[in-house]
Amino acid sequence: METNNKYEYIGKSERNVNGIEKVTGAAKYCSDMELSRMLYGKVKRSPYPHARIISIDTSKAKELPGVKVVIVGDEKTCPHRFGAGVADEYVLARDKVLYVGDAVAAVAAETEDIAQDAVDLIEVEYEELEPVFDGDQAFSKNPPAILHEDLKSYKTIRSVPPRFDENRPNVFNYFRIRRNNAEEAFKEADIVLENRFEVAMIHHVQMEPHCGVAKVDGTGRLIVWGTTSKPYGMHKDISESRGMASSAVRVIVPTHVGGAFGGREPKAEQIAASLVLAQKGHPKRPVKMRFTREEQLSTTTTRARYIVEIKTGAKKDGTLVANAMRTILVGGAYAGTGYLTARNGSFGPAANYKIPNFSLDAYGVYTNQRMAGAFRGFGNAETLWGMESNMDMLAEALNIDPLEFRLMNCIDEGDLNAFQEKMHSVGAKECLQAAARDIEWGKKPEKPKEPHLKMGKGIALGNKYSLVPTASACFIKVHPDGLVELRTSTVELGQGSNTIFSQMISEEFKIPVSMVRVLNPDTDITPFDLGTASSRSTFNMGNAIRKACADAKKQLFELAATELGVAEDVLETADSRVFVKDFPEKSLHIKDLFIPMVIGGYTLKEGAEILGKATYYLPGVMPDPETGASERPASFYMFVAQAAEVEVDTQTGKIRVTKMVTANDCGKAINPMMVEGQQDGGVLSMGIGSALLEEVITDNGVMLNPQFADYKIPTTLDCPDCDNYKSAIIETAHREGPWGAKGVGEGTMVSSAPAIANAIYDAIGIRFHEIPITPEKVLRALKEKNQESLG
Amino acid sequence: MENLSLTVNGEHITAEINPGTTLQKFLYDNLGLTGTKEGCGEGLCGCCTVRVDGKAVKSCIILALQARGKNVQTIEGLAEGEKLDLLQEAFLDNGAFQCGYCTPGMIMAGKAHLDENPKPSEKDVRHALSGNLCRCTGYHKIVKAILSVDQKKVMDFKK
Repeated sequence: METNNKYEYIGKSERNVNGIEKVTGAAKYCSDMELSRMLYGKVKRSPYPHARIISIDTSKAKELPGVKVVIVGDEKTCPHRFGAGVADEYVLARDKVLYVGDAVAAVAAETEDIAQDAVDLIEVEYEELEPVFDGDQAFSKNPPAILHEDLKSYKTIRSVPPRFDENRPNVFNYFRIRRNNAEEAFKEADIVLENRFEVAMIHHVQMEPHCGVAKVDGTGRLIVWGTTSKPYGMHKDISESRGMASSAVRVIVPTHVGGAFGGREPKAEQIAASLVLAQKGHPKRPVKMRFTREEQLSTTTTRARYIVEIKTGAKKDGTLVANAMRTILVGGAYAGTGYLTARNGSFGPAANYKIPNFSLDAYGVYTNQRMAGAFRGFGNAETLWGMESNMDMLAEALNIDPLEFRLMNCIDEGDLNAFQEKMHSVGAKECLQAAARDIEWGKKPEKPKEPHLKMGKGIALGNKYSLVPTASACFIKVHPDGLVELRTSTVELGQGSNTIFSQMISEEFKIPVSMVRVLNPDTDITPFDLGTASSRSTFNMGNAIRKACADAKKQLFELAATELGVAEDVLETADSRVFVKDFPEKSLHIKDLFIPMVIGGYTLKEGAEILGKATYYLPGVMPDPETGASERPASFYMFVAQAAEVEVDTQTGKIRVTKMVTANDCGKAINPMMVEGQQDGGVLSMGIGSALLEEVITDNGVMLNPQFADYKIPTTLDCPDCDNYKSAIIETAHREGPWGAKGVGEGTMVSSAPAIANAIYDAIGIRFHEIPITPEKVLRALKEKNQESLG
Repeated sequence: MENLSLTVNGEHITAEINPGTTLQKFLYDNLGLTGTKEGCGEGLCGCCTVRVDGKAVKSCIILALQARGKNVQTIEGLAEGEKLDLLQEAFLDNGAFQCGYCTPGMIMAGKAHLDENPKPSEKDVRHALSGNLCRCTGYHKIVKAILSVDQKKVMDFKK
């Protein structure tokens, strides 16, 4: 599992540094937290998708023995709206409820059971309003419902601000790209194909349900623990929604968080904080707010339904000439990070192929469903599902092999993408070739055992950008015993960031991974990081770590130079010693730079500690609002190609993925085993799940399948056998990446669904325009096809 | 309240409990064994898998009283002191976990299966784990880890 390289720790499959805790049951998550005199919270939720709150009667709930706090949404508990880009949400709904499950009141009591009983005693009178669920209707100029009448007056973020639409009252963001003239260019094309594709709403299904714990310390400061992936984003949401000074809030994330995949908007944490602050007198008791599995599946953020309309034109020889798209993210009641998803889902199609004429209009719209936030791939799995299905159809119309067609047109180093940005670090071709090799492209699948089983193969290309503007900061502390400590606000969500950061520090200091420690995020201790999102940690925090290590080493060498009587620039460090490069025997241990003190401890004569610090800041260039033109709209692009072999049972409609391969260009694998881990989960769990199994099913806004019995994520039996799954790591170094590294996590599912759907087409000749492709849909389509051929 | 006496991780335990208490709640709340996590409370995700007299059991859907007089093993009871079980080592070597929330249940289900079937086929392992959900790994490295334990045993035998 090692790639060729000259490094001691980089590129090695080190064991997970938090692994022992995880395999022995010692790992503590937010949901395992217990504080003395803790209260437990529960939420009263709206049964209606759209309604005005007339009155809330909490008197019976308050009388129930064991109930300590009951809160409703009002000027006191939630004075300000909050949100990632558009401040459109109160902690508890104040005037209207906008989805089934919208929080209207909350209770804290001695036990969860008492809190739930109290919630059931709260009486809310509503006036029902007409809801809107359908994306096209919500998008229209005269929608059946307007969710946020005062949208224009809401506070918006200055960095990457959302753009509203004068004529479409439910649009919360609009983004456009115009490169040359797509409409004119279609006239030059020999074949133009126009299609519409959709994806169903799905859920992240993080194994740890959402949880927040809040308390007020002796000085009156609010401390909140949570399952967040963005401690500083949560910090902003909590302080801003209450009008609190930023320094009056402290956010801590436990070392272990049970998965995120983009879906950790801090609602549970917000409610826990409100339940603490609403307590009268002192001391206030801590509150834990842990969502049940059903609450998690039915009320927390999703990957939204997405509508992708795409028109692509090519010459007879297969050269792409133009592409035009309109995408709608069907975004739910509040925008959340979905405001950015709606925009940034454009990046995948913009950077996949060389297309000289390109236009794109991307919208996010409000509907009466729960908030659609971020989800692994951030809109690009959805938009590429459309693009890569349409590309396959175009290949067939042109009578060109789908792999060849992609290889002919895929973007390469130095090409311009739709932003007119010159691409750098592009592994598209290598990924396609690796995926084709591993699926044995061109070789017919084995003949199925039964005549009603049909086999086919499909391939798809994708990419995932990482966002700008972006910044990560960290501290590196060198302890007197030689241990090097990293203070970072990157969250270890399971992806392995603590391990790869340790490897980076090991490489810089030439010390074993066991001599590195990573502190958990704590806004009192660990400096700013934009968030554990956008596959940005390896690149951004990695660069910050390298810079901070250099700073710490400089401090070490300054001290050692005096002690050893040499110049700083002849020094190096390894194994907790500082030595002269050309005379390694002239050396001293790091502890000898410190002065042991009476009573105990060590000190430096000045400077307090050896503390390296650094920020990695990449502002990028904001795309032109009319054309999207930008020299640097993203940090980097990760490329991916995936291929599938499927077996379709024409009697039952059931699809089995018999083989699946993925090739991911991550720049440089800092830890190949962990890169594979990302690939495996992205392809096998989320890729296959989203393509074939998963859908949030609703009726009038009520989720009908909020349990694992009905919301099906893949099990061991839904994934191909170990021998029939292959993951290839492609390393196309990025000139700015630490050791050439980019990222991996989000690129891992962006081409899974089209690869599988293209294989299904190859097997049965039916093109599906919406995922998931369930047995019911397959049977219906087969029936229609048979009737057509008969009729 | 009912009296309950049972063995948990080799230790004899007696307690007075509400008869409605599930085994998961008893282990987690009463004994503080937080490795046995409630993932769904409906027996559908397998996070809370423990062994009762050797067999893998989803502890959220049996009552603590049903374990009366029995031998319960949780994830905390798998290692012998500092020495990890071979399956725990295999999970570490193979990177067979990410967020770790399902891991205790996965390991206990895998361990129960290996004890019954020391040389399983991949199909055996996939069937044995089909009631344990994981969202991070796609199961690939989990299956490989469990299969690798068998190979280690074979190698030890050859030595």
